[in-house]
Amino acid sequence: MDLFQLREQFSKDGIMMCFNGPFSHSIIEELGTAIKNHLANENIARVAVQDVFAAYIEMTQNARNYLTKRDIPTGDTGSATIMIAKKDDVYVVTSGNVVLRNDITELTSRIDDINLLDQESLKKEIRRQLRSELPPGSLGAGIGLMEMAKRSGFGLEYSIRDIDDRFSFFTLRVQIQQA
Amino acid sequence: MMRMLDIAQSQSTPRISYDPKEHVLTISGESYPENSFEFYAPVSIWFKEYLAAENRLRLDINVSYMNSSSTKCMLDLLDLLEEAHQKGITIDIVWRYDHDNPRSLDLAEEFKEEVTFPFSIITVEQ
Repeated sequence: MDLFQLREQFSKDGIMMCFNGPFSHSIIEELGTAIKNHLANENIARVAVQDVFAAYIEMTQNARNYLTKRDIPTGDTGSATIMIAKKDDVYVVTSGNVVLRNDITELTSRIDDINLLDQESLKKEIRRQLRSELPPGSLGAGIGLMEMAKRSGFGLEYSIRDIDDRFSFFTLRVQIQQA
Repeated sequence: MMRMLDIAQSQSTPRISYDPKEHVLTISGESYPENSFEFYAPVSIWFKEYLAAENRLRLDINVSYMNSSSTKCMLDLLDLLEEAHQKGITIDIVWRYDHDNPRSLDLAEEFKEEVTFPFSIITVEQ
């Protein structure tokens, strides 16, 4: 593995930070602090920093909760990949993790439905979800994806890559306008 | 009877502290716990016990970021306060935010819509 080449590729793609590995809550905290500090030094609006940080937290916690809920074995499958990149005036937060192939249809149709909603409908749907009964043992409130879509304004992008007959790799991408 | 609540701030969880002299519960910092429901469960229990016995409470909130599951937990706490308010207990909230953090203002305004007791939103310089 040629780290210099990897860095060159990162630089070309505008990748500011990237992490690949097992994903604990303290890693999420530490990376989050690093992201906030890095962005604070760039000359961008505080609200953009907040939105990038929020997207990062929602994505990483979603990934972590999913891997926990599905009891995905640790090691290679139990890790996630996070990237923060900057392209022109837009920050791009991307996360990737292994998912069960059985979960893909539900996951992708949820995201497709969310992408059809405008800001007002997102707010209504978030409120409705917040007021609804959560299934027992829920790790989250069920509104993370909608929150990200609301802050982004660009919609949620995703891609799926099959690994074997049980698992696929799911990538989620959110863009946050700098200005 | 003194009802103590004093949770120290951590990197991803806010300080939650009750001042029995002023009857003020202060929540400050950021909120993105590993498991929000687990984190706020003792706070919810404290609220229920407190509101069953006392007749006034002010919530002083200065939380600059809340992840989505924290907003659910906060909404549940506000519901408890609204219920208490309907029973005649004196409830109010002071929500403080940094003027260049419009997301915190958005959140405050959304929470304010969910309750009927006094809810003032003020800016602070940070």
